[in-house]
Amino acid sequence: MDHFPGTWGRPRNDVYGAYNPQYLQTTGPKTHTSSPAVTGTSVIGVKFNGGVVLATDNLASYGSLARFTDVKRLRVFGDKAVVGFGGDVSDMQYIDRLLESIDIRENYSSNGNMLNAKNLHTYLAKVFYKRRSEFNPLWNHVLVAGFDGEGKPFLSSADLLGTTFSAPHLATGFGAHLAVPILRRLFPEETPIEEISREQAVSALKDCLKVLFYRDARSLDKYSIAVITQDGIDLKEDEQIEGQSWAFAERIKGYGAQTN
Amino acid sequence: MTSITGHPAGGEGIGYSFSQPTAAPVKQHGFYPYTDNGGSTLGITGSDFAILAGDTRSTSGYNINSRMVPKVFKIGGDDETGEGAQIVLSVVGFAADGNALKERLDAVVKMYKYQHGKPMSVSACAQRLSTILYGKRFFPYYVHAILAGLDEEGKGALYSYDPVGSYEREQCRAAGAAASLIMPFLDNQVNFKNQYIPGSGEGHALEAKKAEPLPQTHVEQLVRDAFTSAVERHIEVGDNLQMMIITREGIKEVFHPLKKD
Amino acid sequence: MTSIGTGYDLSNSVFSPDGRNFQVEYAVKAVENGGTAVGIRCKDGVVLAVEKIITSKLLKPGANKRIATVDRHVGIVSAGLVPDGRHFVSRARDEASSWRGTYKAPIPTSALANRLGGYVQAYTLYSSVRPFGVTSIVGGWDSEAELAVDGQVGTGPKSGAGGKVEGTPAGGPALYMIEPSGLYWGYYGAATGKGRQAAKAELEKLDLTSGNLSLLDGVKEAARIIYVAHQDSKDKEFELEMSWISSLDGPTKGRHEEVPKELREEAEKFAKQELEGEDEDEEEKGQGEQMEE
Repeated sequence: MDHFPGTWGRPRNDVYGAYNPQYLQTTGPKTHTSSPAVTGTSVIGVKFNGGVVLATDNLASYGSLARFTDVKRLRVFGDKAVVGFGGDVSDMQYIDRLLESIDIRENYSSNGNMLNAKNLHTYLAKVFYKRRSEFNPLWNHVLVAGFDGEGKPFLSSADLLGTTFSAPHLATGFGAHLAVPILRRLFPEETPIEEISREQAVSALKDCLKVLFYRDARSLDKYSIAVITQDGIDLKEDEQIEGQSWAFAERIKGYGAQTN
Repeated sequence: MTSITGHPAGGEGIGYSFSQPTAAPVKQHGFYPYTDNGGSTLGITGSDFAILAGDTRSTSGYNINSRMVPKVFKIGGDDETGEGAQIVLSVVGFAADGNALKERLDAVVKMYKYQHGKPMSVSACAQRLSTILYGKRFFPYYVHAILAGLDEEGKGALYSYDPVGSYEREQCRAAGAAASLIMPFLDNQVNFKNQYIPGSGEGHALEAKKAEPLPQTHVEQLVRDAFTSAVERHIEVGDNLQMMIITREGIKEVFHPLKKD
Repeated sequence: MTSIGTGYDLSNSVFSPDGRNFQVEYAVKAVENGGTAVGIRCKDGVVLAVEKIITSKLLKPGANKRIATVDRHVGIVSAGLVPDGRHFVSRARDEASSWRGTYKAPIPTSALANRLGGYVQAYTLYSSVRPFGVTSIVGGWDSEAELAVDGQVGTGPKSGAGGKVEGTPAGGPALYMIEPSGLYWGYYGAATGKGRQAAKAELEKLDLTSGNLSLLDGVKEAARIIYVAHQDSKDKEFELEMSWISSLDGPTKGRHEEVPKELREEAEKFAKQELEGEDEDEEEKGQGEQMEE
């Protein structure tokens, strides 16, 4: 008779061997995120006369697996700012909730949420920088779009290291390689944004999304696009890339039905 | 490679004739907290002025992030306009650290003014900057900083730093990606290194040209020349040249276009 | 109050021999001196209103708000000691935010009222604290639509099993009132503060139980009731402060917001007209006759 009730009901040592208590050990080095898990690809954005357009596709990948295909990566803050997220989706959700709690706190006062996109960008960059300095990064690269304190269109980038920069058109991830050259050709940086119309900006982003879908293996033909103007945010989250042409595939090995 | 017994060589499984990795190599994607955003900065002093300059390109690898990201900042002035500042800081290297460093020094200089009722001297600020940098000796701000202003005698003052706070006062200094391209040019043109007085003697008797403070317009031209040349030879330098000219009248900020290729 | 002066009224956590906590009853007295506050639970939303007595001409009109936003969908108005009310609101905000932290969803108004009731009650148990000198009205709109979890990223599969029962009613308006004892009930219409008796009498006439009153009419009635309740302290000037929470398809889209200035002024005009009408009626009917409506 085993007189120790604490050992009752456990696998018998003479059958299974002694239990290895090593698995119960909770001490050891503390580990943080050292790589992202479920990720979103490029975010692209352009300023135009009176506002900013931002776009992402609706895919969240798990490595090379297209894991979630209806993921909304454009997040609205207040009534005149949008954040486009690339990188880790769970970190995006964390930041989204963080921003939601800020919005709720801002609305305690009857003035409502007075934080503009510029304020939001400064804040996000500091959050990213703080977390990278703790070696516990939020694995994202974001674009923040909206208006600055003077009501001028604002578009700026912040990443997991806390690096920030701003330009008339920006793209993260693969978009930095594929979309930026297209945007720079369409809208040379020396031309004032006043000469770019909303329609031009939107159609340019659609073109970029198409190129990204052709060439970025971690992309999708379903996308979200947000147009931010002083009148508010026009957010569409269930769009489809149109006018695709895969004719070129016929001439490339591995595409389509060719056999040799 | 089968053995003479005909059995597969090696201890395990199927006998491949070549060594087979038992599993995919463990891919460790560690987190590296730094990046290099490229660009270059440069500072030169004269008898009654100091100039700090930098290009405005921000890069990530071969990508240009933006063509307009200033690296030179007014310290201790108004948040928006920089008005009232008397000290200028340039940072080049990891831009996020550069920004954090700039904001810390800015706060320190402002607090000094609020608490003591007078602006911080450049020498005091220089020592404080060193302390801030050394405070992160074991997780450094990955930047090369240059601090400029006018000293208590009204002469141009320039201090240059390594990432962990070692510093010295100098006549001129180039930092960043194209430092190795610009610095020898400065040695020659500002401190007259390898320049001799013609006909002053033969061999060791040849007299070196003595360095003396240069006029402001001349220095401005040197800075522009240094950057136009650096742009030609370094891919991370370009777009625009930002210059801060510190004189008794205050700080003047000017931009010049550079090549964008 | 026979046991007054016998020492049983000096401390919390001590019952009088007849089973009363006098400190709580004194707290109620503090409430009874506060400006009247009312809440109305309407068909498609909730209205909160408060009579803000102007204590000094040096105070900026429209400033120093007395109705607080706790979460997007909840507002609180209280009568009694203003600083106690502020602390109470601060606790409510912490509760609402901690609920979000745990459940990644907005706190149901009933759950918030429950937690606040528990919090206030705790202040009746210890000799080291005094009870809250406020009675608070908590108004909220619990989303009638299925809410996304905070931070939710997609909508899930468009076909296949979902396990949802269609047409189940959910959410809607909620109104609670919490007293210094920690006692709280859900109400169709709630009133507290100096003019609560008159206000309650008016609320009872509204037939709120049938659930037919629209939010817009509720706003008008709330304004009128505050004006009626003010009749007994006519010598003091006051400001009317009002907030509302509508259904998702209503004017505030389920959020707690201040009633827009234009609408509030319209409601005040209506309230004043009604009061004048009442005075005339009374004169016509003569003394002693009861008004009927």
